[in-house]
Amino acid sequence: MEAVNLLSSNKYSEKQIGYLFISVLVNTNSDLIKLIIQSIKNDLSSRNPVHVSLALQCIANIGSKEMAEAFGHEIPKLLVSGDTMDVVKQSAALCLLRLFRTSQEIIPSGEWTSRIIHLLNDQHMGVVTAATSLIDALVKKNPEEYKGCISLAVSRLSRIVTASYTDLQDYTYYFVPAPWLSVKLLRLLQNYPPPEDPGVRGRLNECLETILNKAQEPPKSKKVQHSNAKNAVLFEAISLIIHNDTEPNLLVRACNQLGQFLSNRETNLRYLALESMCLLATSEFSHEAVKKHQEVVILSMKMEKDVSVRQQAVDLLYAMCDKSNAEEIVQEMLNYLETADYSIREEMVLKVAILAEKYATDYTWYVDVILNLIRIAGDYVSEEVWYRVIQIVINRDDVQGYAAKTVFEALQAPACHENMVKVGGYILGEFGNLIAGDQRSSPQVQFQLLHSKYHLCSPMTRALLLSTYIKFVNLFPEIKTQIQDVFKQHSNLRSADAELQQRASEYLQLSIIASTDVLATVLEEMPAFPERESSILAVLKKKKPGRVPENEIREGKSPGPTANHQTEQPPAPAPTTNNVSTDLLGLSTPPASQPSTTSTSNTGVLLDVFGDMYGGTGTPAQANNVNNLAPAQSTYNAKKFICKNNGVLFENDLIQIGVKSEFRQNLGRLGLFYGNKTSFALQNFMPSLSIPDELQGKVNLQVKPVEPVLEAGAQIQQMLNAECIEDYSDTPSMVISFLYNNVPQKLTIKLPLTINKFFEPTEMNGESFFARWKNLGGNQQRSQKIFKATQPMDTTATRTKLLGFGMQLLEGIDPNPDNFVCAGIVHTRTQQVGCLLRLEPNKQAQMYRLTVRSSKESVSQEVCELLADQF
Amino acid sequence: MIKAILVFNNHGKPRMSKFYQYFNEDMQQQIIKETFQLVSKRDDNVCNFLEGGSLIGGSDYKLIYRHYATLYFVFCVDSSESELGILDLIQVFVETLDKCFENVCELDLIFHVDKVHYILNELVMGGMVLETNMTEILTRIEDQNKLEKQEAGLAAAPARAVSAVKNMNIPQQIKDMKLPDLPQAIKDLKF
Repeated sequence: MEAVNLLSSNKYSEKQIGYLFISVLVNTNSDLIKLIIQSIKNDLSSRNPVHVSLALQCIANIGSKEMAEAFGHEIPKLLVSGDTMDVVKQSAALCLLRLFRTSQEIIPSGEWTSRIIHLLNDQHMGVVTAATSLIDALVKKNPEEYKGCISLAVSRLSRIVTASYTDLQDYTYYFVPAPWLSVKLLRLLQNYPPPEDPGVRGRLNECLETILNKAQEPPKSKKVQHSNAKNAVLFEAISLIIHNDTEPNLLVRACNQLGQFLSNRETNLRYLALESMCLLATSEFSHEAVKKHQEVVILSMKMEKDVSVRQQAVDLLYAMCDKSNAEEIVQEMLNYLETADYSIREEMVLKVAILAEKYATDYTWYVDVILNLIRIAGDYVSEEVWYRVIQIVINRDDVQGYAAKTVFEALQAPACHENMVKVGGYILGEFGNLIAGDQRSSPQVQFQLLHSKYHLCSPMTRALLLSTYIKFVNLFPEIKTQIQDVFKQHSNLRSADAELQQRASEYLQLSIIASTDVLATVLEEMPAFPERESSILAVLKKKKPGRVPENEIREGKSPGPTANHQTEQPPAPAPTTNNVSTDLLGLSTPPASQPSTTSTSNTGVLLDVFGDMYGGTGTPAQANNVNNLAPAQSTYNAKKFICKNNGVLFENDLIQIGVKSEFRQNLGRLGLFYGNKTSFALQNFMPSLSIPDELQGKVNLQVKPVEPVLEAGAQIQQMLNAECIEDYSDTPSMVISFLYNNVPQKLTIKLPLTINKFFEPTEMNGESFFARWKNLGGNQQRSQKIFKATQPMDTTATRTKLLGFGMQLLEGIDPNPDNFVCAGIVHTRTQQVGCLLRLEPNKQAQMYRLTVRSSKESVSQEVCELLADQF
Repeated sequence: MIKAILVFNNHGKPRMSKFYQYFNEDMQQQIIKETFQLVSKRDDNVCNFLEGGSLIGGSDYKLIYRHYATLYFVFCVDSSESELGILDLIQVFVETLDKCFENVCELDLIFHVDKVHYILNELVMGGMVLETNMTEILTRIEDQNKLEKQEAGLAAAPARAVSAVKNMNIPQQIKDMKLPDLPQAIKDLKF
């Protein structure tokens, strides 16, 4: 409060302290803001430029929405008006930029555009620098409108570049004329393709050439600042050259210049040179030129003292790799990996794996590389990498034998990494037969080799090995008894892990009961994987958005469900998700599922086998949990809420949305609970209603607004009142938008406001029920559906659902005790609709017949639709 | 854009921090701590750029720092800034401080926080580079000093302000505040 008073003081020092306080201590959400705004307004219109500057600084430093609304109109005027002092103009430009970032609409268009652009011609270099920043941001939003700035920027640039360092006086920094402004202008030009006008283009190229020439001149000062400033401009010029990508001559010169920097004494320059070269390598003109420096780059990867620089070198090697040098680069990277820093190992492993795959002409080479990779840096080989090698081996007949042989040899090492055991287990299980002819790798030997590793491995790997064994049973009948012994050992209490135990006993039974034919079908070779984007590439993209030189880099907004989340889950029938990271679903699931994933027809066979085994104890389907789908990471199931009122409506990594609701007659009240699961505040949090057109006038909804910030770990509640005016289908939704880490997120959630929520249960006896039932016999009033059960036909579960649905469950009325009948009244403001329902399960056929009769056709249909998906 | 400017000493004690993107207090402390850990591990002869801070902005985030005697000056920026440009900006900042305080040292930053902030305000505004010309900055700072001196009760004014800051209890005041009454309150309080 006192600080606010200080703001309105006339004394400069008091005012200054007041502003300082505010910029340091007040955040954007404080209530004080409203007070401050008035004071700032006064200062802004003050005659004293110092006061105006203070006010502008304050606005820029706070830069909130309120500020943008309050001052959006004043600042542009200040910026272009003729009698504003330079200092103020400069501040105004940046202030406007800041407000523009918080709310895009504050920049006026039309005649302002040209006036803002012409600030580039201003006499005062400070103003030009500030204006360039502003225009840069505006151009990003609206490139067409600000096209005019290209030629102005180019001419300004050429004036600076050709100026001698004495011309610009104060703005010369260690003998370099206006380095910051040059950098800004060069950045600005990178927003556009090369200028079309040949005159402008020529001038620009001249400038760029001059900058490159200057780099060759002997330094005017020994000071590091001089070379820094000079090189800042140079690097920016090089990025522009790369961006334009049309002048092969300049590109090659740029590349040579960078090559010189690679062996420069300054670490900073080496770092930046490597970074820029990464970009250069992607241009077709300079790709070859970059390759000339391969030796030096490899050297800097190995010898550089600084890990940041080494990292850049690795990036560059990755970018410059092509068919001709792949083998050499991959080899060098592998060599280096043994001594590489821990922090960059994982990324390097990914990169090596990708390069090896991308440029492999000979897949035996690829297999060698990956196995080496696992040997050298097993801990850093993520699941995706070894999944991928298996995918490739399975898809290519020509390497299968070689792969089997190599892994077999690799496994003979006394200590080998668990990932190696996994790959080995998988590949031998599939293709062990290809090398079984050799005495040294007879089935017996293969099996014993794998089993010698068994005890050292984690349950996950053990499970995989068990699957390998059952595959061996199929491949090599001669060692069947041996394997059965192993299964026997593990099917009892000796294996503490339930999954292993179950697997062992199931496999044991399978090997005993099933005939050779059945075994051969069930344990057939895995089918080829469909070719998709490499999952490794996807991982790398996720890790380093913008670093992977591929065209379509999309940053994952929120991490989707990844394969390893589901590893322990029973399998989905087939990997149908198109999310790249679930690529290997079939693989990542413990191979117990392999038989069932192979083809659907096998499932039946398998079930029969287990059916015999557990004869009479229960439903056969449960022996092998084929039907349980792995729960997805972000759960959102609106259907579930048809039959219940409370629960978690939506959940992902960021947010959890719960709902509680109660209904009476045609009125309902919903409490929505938003919980922030992250450790950051969710900004601009805004849930808003979205009502489909056909619902307009049929339901009435009111929501209370909520606070725009959802603090980390906090939960807020939003109340929603609903009134049903007329019956409807479809449901209203909630659109929830917020900023997480400044990334806008948007969710659309269907509200659990289906028509059945307005049911009132009605009790009646059998006589009156059937009397009404007959009365409602007309085609218009009746709606019927016959559908297959999607869930086990369990009477209690069905009862619970029907009760949750909102109607009265009438017991003992239907002559068939298996059938369910219900009655209820739908309340709307305009009318009440009586509704009767009958659900007839047919256990043999696993089908239901659902009949709904009501006095209104649309109601019967909707109720029937809603309920049909539930069983 | 510049996301934050941090100055801390060799032991990680913050001497000045300025955030141009909103973070709550805890987060700010965490960022300073993390940045210190990243920066202090590095030798003096390695490069001045560093990626890998996890707290601000994710992957589009670089630390650019310089180490002067006992102090680290760290600028946290995104990719729209030129690395060497920022490096020179740090140099300008430090040289300006040096001119204003005549041989600046850590103690100057502790005892004249306000002045440091004023200088920074002339240099960077709302995360954007405002002025890079040292003479220009110096004249502005001098102008400000002159203005301060011209005003009567020079000694009293800052002291009063400081005591005002100390004495108030912000959360409580905000709670007590009734928004409708405010315009009047301001009128009454005029000096």
